[in-house]
Amino acid sequence: MAAVPAKIRVYAKKLVQLSLSGGGVSAEQVAAVLLHLEKNPPARLPLILQTYHKLIAVELAKSEARVEHAGPVAADALAAIASSLGKRYSRTVTTVTKSNPALLAGLRVRIGDDVYESSVSSQLAALASAS
Amino acid sequence: MSSFLLPLAQITEHAVETVAAHGEAPSALTQITENFSISVPFIVAQVVSFSIVAFVLWHFAFKPVLATLDERQLKIAGGLKYAEEMKAKLEAAQQQTAAQLKTAQLEASKIIDEARKTAKDLADREAAAATERANGLITKAQQAIQLEHQKMLADARVEIARLVIATTERVLAKKLTDADRASYNETATRELTSV
Repeated sequence: MAAVPAKIRVYAKKLVQLSLSGGGVSAEQVAAVLLHLEKNPPARLPLILQTYHKLIAVELAKSEARVEHAGPVAADALAAIASSLGKRYSRTVTTVTKSNPALLAGLRVRIGDDVYESSVSSQLAALASAS
Repeated sequence: MSSFLLPLAQITEHAVETVAAHGEAPSALTQITENFSISVPFIVAQVVSFSIVAFVLWHFAFKPVLATLDERQLKIAGGLKYAEEMKAKLEAAQQQTAAQLKTAQLEASKIIDEARKTAKDLADREAAAATERANGLITKAQQAIQLEHQKMLADARVEIARLVIATTERVLAKKLTDADRASYNETATRELTSV
């Protein structure tokens, strides 16, 4: 994949900033941005839209915590995790759960590029790497 | 010779004068002189002529001959002296040659000793270097063996740990109940939210 020109990346980032509301991506703001682009199409619109889409996906990933778990997880536990991450990243964070028996027991939370894990498998892996 | 004949003539002349003065009969001496026709002037003339001849011979014959003999004698003496000098020089040269030969022998002996010493030192150094190389090889081999042993132990430790962890995972996957997992999840939740 060819590298995106710096001007287009900067322009797409500005569009993403316009799409944020309350620290997270707002559907209304995104719709307004897209309408503006539709009415006033800039040069190289497809590349701008691709870059904008990737950046919006990244922003959504920052607002979405993927919680992998082994065994049952209480709803209040997920709420506590979302609340804690929302305070840490200063945005509204939602959680998406996914069962992962390979963890044996415990949780692995992935938000954006950050991963937080407290599981039996990670402790065993740490023990294996330490030996 | 003139000094020897002159007193004889004087004695003879005195005897004749004595006989004549006394007027006596001629004696035996007078008779002898008469019989042999001995005349004093004649004898004196003979002595004079002989002296002249002797002088001439002395001055022109004997003296050059004696001078030649002296010169020859000097030459012979010089030759003998030269021969003695040459003999002394020869002896000195022989002594010098002997001394030089002795010095050369001493130097040769010294050089041979130094060569032997150098050869011995070289052999000692070579032996020491060979010993050092051998010790180095032995040390490297021991280190390699030790490293290999440590690596084998580490590999064994890692493999044992892997087996233990795999076994633990299998055992935990089978033995953990949902209640255990839920309890652990609550603990994990507290840990993650407290970070």
